[in-house]
Amino acid sequence: MPLTDKKYADRIQTAFAKYPDKRSAVMPLLYLAQEEYGWVSPEGIAEVAELCEMDPTQVKSIAGFYTMYSEHPKGKYWLQVCTDLCCALGGADQFYEELKQELGVDDGGTTEDGLFTVEHVMCLAACDKPPMLQCNFHYMENLNMDKMRAWIAEKRAEAAKAKK
Amino acid sequence: MAETVRIIINDVEYEVPAGMNLVDAAKWYAGEDIPVFCHHPKLEPVGMCRMCLVEMGSIEKDRATGQVLLDDQGQPKVRWFPKLQTACTSKVSDGLVIRTRTEQVTDARENVLEFLLTSHPLDCPICQKGGECPLQNLTMRHGPGTSRMVFTDKMQLDKRVPLGDLIFLDEERCIQCARCIRFQSEIVGDDLLAFHERGRTLQIISNSTPEFDSYFSGNTTDICPVGALLTADYHYSARPWEVAEVPSICPHCPVGCNTSLSTRLDRDFGGRAMIKRVMPRQNEQVNEIWICDKGRFGHYFTRDSSRLCDPLVRDGSLTPKTWADAQLAAAAALKAASGDVAAIAGVGMSNEDLFALRQLLAGLGSDRLGAWPPTHTGADIVAQVGVGQDTNLSTLGRGDVVIVIASDLEEEAPIWRLRLKQARDRGAYLIVMNARRTRLDDFATETIHYETGQAAQALTSLWGAPMENTAKAAISTARHLIIVAGAEGLTLAGHRSLMQTAANLLIETGHVGKANNGLLGVFPGANFMGLHYLGYTPEATLDIARKPPKALIVAQADLLADDPAAAEWLSQVETIINLDLFEASGLNALAQVVLPIQSFAERDGSFVNGERRVQRFYTAQGPMGQALPAWQVLQRLGEHLGQGRAKGSAAAVMQDITRAVPVFANAGYARLAQVERQFPDVGGDDLYYGGTAYANKGGLGVQIPTAADSGDVPAPAPAAAVETPKPRGRLLVVPTIRLYNRERTFLPSTLVHPRIPEPYAEINSADAKKLGIHDGDLVTITVENIPALRVRAHVNGGAPKGTVILPRHLSDTAAPLAITVGEVSKA
Amino acid sequence: MQHILLRGRDIPDIWKFDVYTRNGGYDGLKKAIGMKPSEVIDVVKASNLRGRGGAGFPTGLKWSFIPQNEPVKYVAVNADESETGTFKDREIMETNPHQLIEGAMICAWAIQATAVYIYLRGEFWDIAHALDERIGEARRAGFVGENVLGSGWSCNVYTHLGAGAYICGEESALLNSLEGKLGQPRVRPPFPAQKGGGLYGEPTVVNNVETLTNVPWIIMNGADAYKQIGTEQSPGTKIFCVSGHVNKPGNYELPLGITFRELLYDHAGGVPGGRAMKAILPSGGSGPIIRVTDEVLDTKLTYEDLGKIGSILGSASVIVMDETVDITWVAAKVTKFFKHESCGKCTPCREGTYWLDKVLDRIMANQAQPGDIELIDDVAKNMQGITLCALGDFAANPIIHTIKNFREDFMQHMATAAVPADADQRKPTRPGVAAATTVPGRLEGKRDTATTGTPARRDKEIET
Ligand SMILES: Cc1cc2nc3c(=O)[nH]c(=O)nc-3n(C[C@H](O)[C@H](O)[C@H](O)COP(=O)(O)O)c2cc1C
Ligand code: SF4
Ligand code: FES
Repeated sequence: MPLTDKKYADRIQTAFAKYPDKRSAVMPLLYLAQEEYGWVSPEGIAEVAELCEMDPTQVKSIAGFYTMYSEHPKGKYWLQVCTDLCCALGGADQFYEELKQELGVDDGGTTEDGLFTVEHVMCLAACDKPPMLQCNFHYMENLNMDKMRAWIAEKRAEAAKAKK
Repeated sequence: MAETVRIIINDVEYEVPAGMNLVDAAKWYAGEDIPVFCHHPKLEPVGMCRMCLVEMGSIEKDRATGQVLLDDQGQPKVRWFPKLQTACTSKVSDGLVIRTRTEQVTDARENVLEFLLTSHPLDCPICQKGGECPLQNLTMRHGPGTSRMVFTDKMQLDKRVPLGDLIFLDEERCIQCARCIRFQSEIVGDDLLAFHERGRTLQIISNSTPEFDSYFSGNTTDICPVGALLTADYHYSARPWEVAEVPSICPHCPVGCNTSLSTRLDRDFGGRAMIKRVMPRQNEQVNEIWICDKGRFGHYFTRDSSRLCDPLVRDGSLTPKTWADAQLAAAAALKAASGDVAAIAGVGMSNEDLFALRQLLAGLGSDRLGAWPPTHTGADIVAQVGVGQDTNLSTLGRGDVVIVIASDLEEEAPIWRLRLKQARDRGAYLIVMNARRTRLDDFATETIHYETGQAAQALTSLWGAPMENTAKAAISTARHLIIVAGAEGLTLAGHRSLMQTAANLLIETGHVGKANNGLLGVFPGANFMGLHYLGYTPEATLDIARKPPKALIVAQADLLADDPAAAEWLSQVETIINLDLFEASGLNALAQVVLPIQSFAERDGSFVNGERRVQRFYTAQGPMGQALPAWQVLQRLGEHLGQGRAKGSAAAVMQDITRAVPVFANAGYARLAQVERQFPDVGGDDLYYGGTAYANKGGLGVQIPTAADSGDVPAPAPAAAVETPKPRGRLLVVPTIRLYNRERTFLPSTLVHPRIPEPYAEINSADAKKLGIHDGDLVTITVENIPALRVRAHVNGGAPKGTVILPRHLSDTAAPLAITVGEVSKA
Repeated sequence: MQHILLRGRDIPDIWKFDVYTRNGGYDGLKKAIGMKPSEVIDVVKASNLRGRGGAGFPTGLKWSFIPQNEPVKYVAVNADESETGTFKDREIMETNPHQLIEGAMICAWAIQATAVYIYLRGEFWDIAHALDERIGEARRAGFVGENVLGSGWSCNVYTHLGAGAYICGEESALLNSLEGKLGQPRVRPPFPAQKGGGLYGEPTVVNNVETLTNVPWIIMNGADAYKQIGTEQSPGTKIFCVSGHVNKPGNYELPLGITFRELLYDHAGGVPGGRAMKAILPSGGSGPIIRVTDEVLDTKLTYEDLGKIGSILGSASVIVMDETVDITWVAAKVTKFFKHESCGKCTPCREGTYWLDKVLDRIMANQAQPGDIELIDDVAKNMQGITLCALGDFAANPIIHTIKNFREDFMQHMATAAVPADADQRKPTRPGVAAATTVPGRLEGKRDTATTGTPARRDKEIET
């Protein structure tokens, strides 16, 4: 069971220490499972269920309810572009179209090299800095396509280097 | 009666119990059906579907004086809520006023229905629920005549998602009321269903391994208010309006759940009436509106090809004969035995059968009446201090104590386990005692694990402990006390000792002869108490085994499959007359005459359940071959022996019983068929609560009073000290009961096969280590005098040290009948 | 004016513990702990502070609902901030986190809570981790944790990350989510403040981040000083989140009672390119939209004044749209949001948002059918007031008010649709809007309304 590996022991301990019951730790532990497997995989669900003493059905239910748990494998960079009203007033819809084109994928798609997954999401509380996106839970704001192209190239280069 | 309050529904005042759910109160007291989908009177209200909206207000009172304020017309002033309120989440309180028929309410109902129908497939013409569907009924009443939600791409989802092997989900039909989810978590305590995703993509899932593995899963299909959940056997099998509902009683365990058999004249059964499904029938004292999946899916044996259809007489080998010839042969053999006869009857025999058999034997001058299986005893003690009349497990709660001992209740009497779980939820103190962990431990207030075989001692020391402890404190202040006792890990003598010890505790603490107090035996089969009341005892069975008679009548008792050691003494019996449901019975190899009898489905009769309730079942299914009801077979045999004419009907036999056996005096068929209105009102013409065939039209039965109920409280009797078998370096083999097994009355339900465990035995890890056995190894279990068993070893913490937990009836080789000593080795 | 909340703008490093304490940080907590809990509640009550999470409920009053004799009580800080156009709590937590911790601890003292949970939307991942460090600093200094400031009272503060669900900002859904359950709202009563209704069934105060961040100031400076700011019914400052078509979008902490004109032109720099301002959503996607007029621009931003022009102050997330914006598109965008965020628990919201979205899609695709405007208006009205939580009402608002205030924008789409010109003049009647939508033979004529009598099946039983 990878989640009970030593490397997570502290974080599991911290999660359980926060709440009076084990069930409440299901959300933090699902994040751990996602970190371990890259997505909330069936193994991850089973492990979280065992840790929280819940039926796996209940854990799956939690994982399915929230959009930040991915029940499918994702690219290395999971780009969630806000196309909600305020960002759209600031050009986010067009930005997103161009980004998809740049990467050659549709909404929700992953690039062939497995590096990027793009997805449109609802408001991320960065309405004054459109267009913006969230990359693996970190914000990138006041974007434009030039910045994006540079960033994508950088990431591709890093990946190519890592391969060698 | 509880405190009452006055409420006004549509301008009429009603007096109702304080705190009652408004929907339930309106229905029960005012005949006002407030439409609901998510609400179910057995479940906690959630206010999800928004169908039950009503106008609500309260009568204004003067703050200082508490006087009701009046308006200009002299009517009480009402302060109305600005918005409609959900009735299902409201409790009645004094001065509550509601209106349910105003335009605003009607509009809201229409709107909610219109919303529900926007993504519903409206495939009523091919839906099994069509005809008994709350959504359909309410659409008829409140729904829009046409749809404004017309899109060619209206919700298209999976229409046949298996939730486990037994239940199918039609995702399109689901209206997200969560009744199934809530049933599983609130009533059952198995959180095996949940919503996945959210918003309009919300769907029911089960993600356990195996999926939706619950003994109660079928109930979700009953309470589903649409055709979204259907059982695997009924899905696409018949329509509600084609079937006739026949009241019946589940033949599988001592709970005696009231059932309704939906039957139809069926092509697949030669045009005869055939059971298409089994549904719960409301009996609030017995099973409320639930049954377990064994009761629901365990009916296939009644028309299986393994059924015995012709009388057989040994003529070299067993040969089919006419009834007349077979009867003559049997009569001749019985006469030849000149009084040296005995009978052994199984727990599936009806009272009428048992009475006829006892009369037959009496006519031959014998009273050797054995009960089968001889694993449990103490029915006589239950007859004295059993749970008092009007006991209702659903009324147990805070201040009450229930002790469950030496039983794996989930496996042996599932609905009792369900009801006790809820008693615990209501605050009852549930003490679970066994030598090993059982499922009920999960719901216990306190668990006590004693040494194998030491049940009586454990109970004695619980109560007699010199030290104060919480359990003892709870017992000594208990409002009500019920002891539920099984025989797991005990010999017959050991079980008697436990039953007596339990009785003594109850007598000493004054918890007998009153409702919700007393002893409940977890006996095998549907009619163990009937056997007792009609004079059959397991002790007589042992006596028969010790001194085999010349002629033995065996009735619906699978002697060899249950007890591998029986072959030995049976070989000393000259003539065996076997009344059986099945052809390929081990006993038939030994029998001279084999007579086919009818199952509970093909004839009428009555059983006495574990709570001593005499309950009637009715003829539902078409006959199998020449099989006849056992009482008829036996009484005709009596005719041949000059014992007087056979009765014409089961009712007439019962008439005789009422005269001959005083405890049945009140149990004539007409009386057994009586029904009264039950709360909650979920059956009959009910439009919304969504039980499919809950209406009880077959009778609520009659409970036989205990001696203590009649004022005759026995004095505590000494419980004999009983030795547990001594392992002496070997292991104690503890036979246990699994709900799903390979007994002949269950095996034909192939649907459930994936859920029948492979033959296994649980071995303690310390023992396993010593023996070099690992989890999953094939092992051989050897017990003296019986063939060795090959099973899979489970080293999973289930077995206490020094014991092997060996479920019976999982393999074709019989496990020992009672606790014994044996050896385990790697196969 | 000095900021009360966004003090990071006046003192750049105030997020640092030592900078915060050097500038009077945690003095409010010290002062509060020197007072009786009930006295603290009284001060907050007197200040007339109203909840900044949207509903504007008086904060002191909310605290006073907590039963005193319960041994376990909680404070849940609502940092879910997911309403379109709202980004104020984020800035507070990023730039002035200790003041939030201090405010939450004062609240905890006032109700004698045993623990504080800060529920952050999952996307505030970095903020939560930084906040954990700030909590650690406060704990080490004795402001949080065991025996706070030697008072004998112990109370820990924890962060909890959501995972992408707007509904978890609704207080009872938030509590469910914290408990590891599905983030769906609960039936009320019991309310969170009551036994049985709060976190783990214990009495709980749920307050917004901004609300609590006001509290240290109020305790230090007194209720009267607070009431000096803002208007009588809406005292204090408020962070206005300005986004959309303005030159300087961002957060503005200003006294309540300033006008739209001051906020949007003086502070936020007006509309780019000098274009005209067409519409304002004063409270994110959920509040009623208003058409910009001079009267509107001169309206004061207060709880009471916005009601007068048919909208609400809510969380004061002011979204500005210039003359180029098609309000039908706004309705469609916002509806997508609510459809995506509907938790699915109750029927009208789950089905209504799905249906509205479908119709709006076809309107936007210029494939409207006759009567579509009336249809969505009616569907939205049918959702109103009957849902389990307010999200259903939120989802109905944008439809009803965009149609009411900007009908001509919708008509544009109808005009290009292949439908008769008079189509949208037809009143929607039930059943059915257009003949084409009738399902042949289905249930026709079987309908039987409760107003005209009881249904046939139950006749005999309704005699009573
Ligand atoms: C659908 C919905 C979403 C909400 N989201 C938030 C939110 O993100 N943040 C917030 O503080 N309050 C939100 N609220 C309001 C809360 O339910 C609650 O009223 C508030 O947190 C109370 O705090 P306050 O009194 O300090 O305003 C939301 C309400 C609803 C119905
Ligand atoms: S109104 Fe919407 S979000 Fe609120 S409970 Fe109902 S479905 Fe869920
Ligand atoms: S909301 Fe009351 S019955 Fe569903």
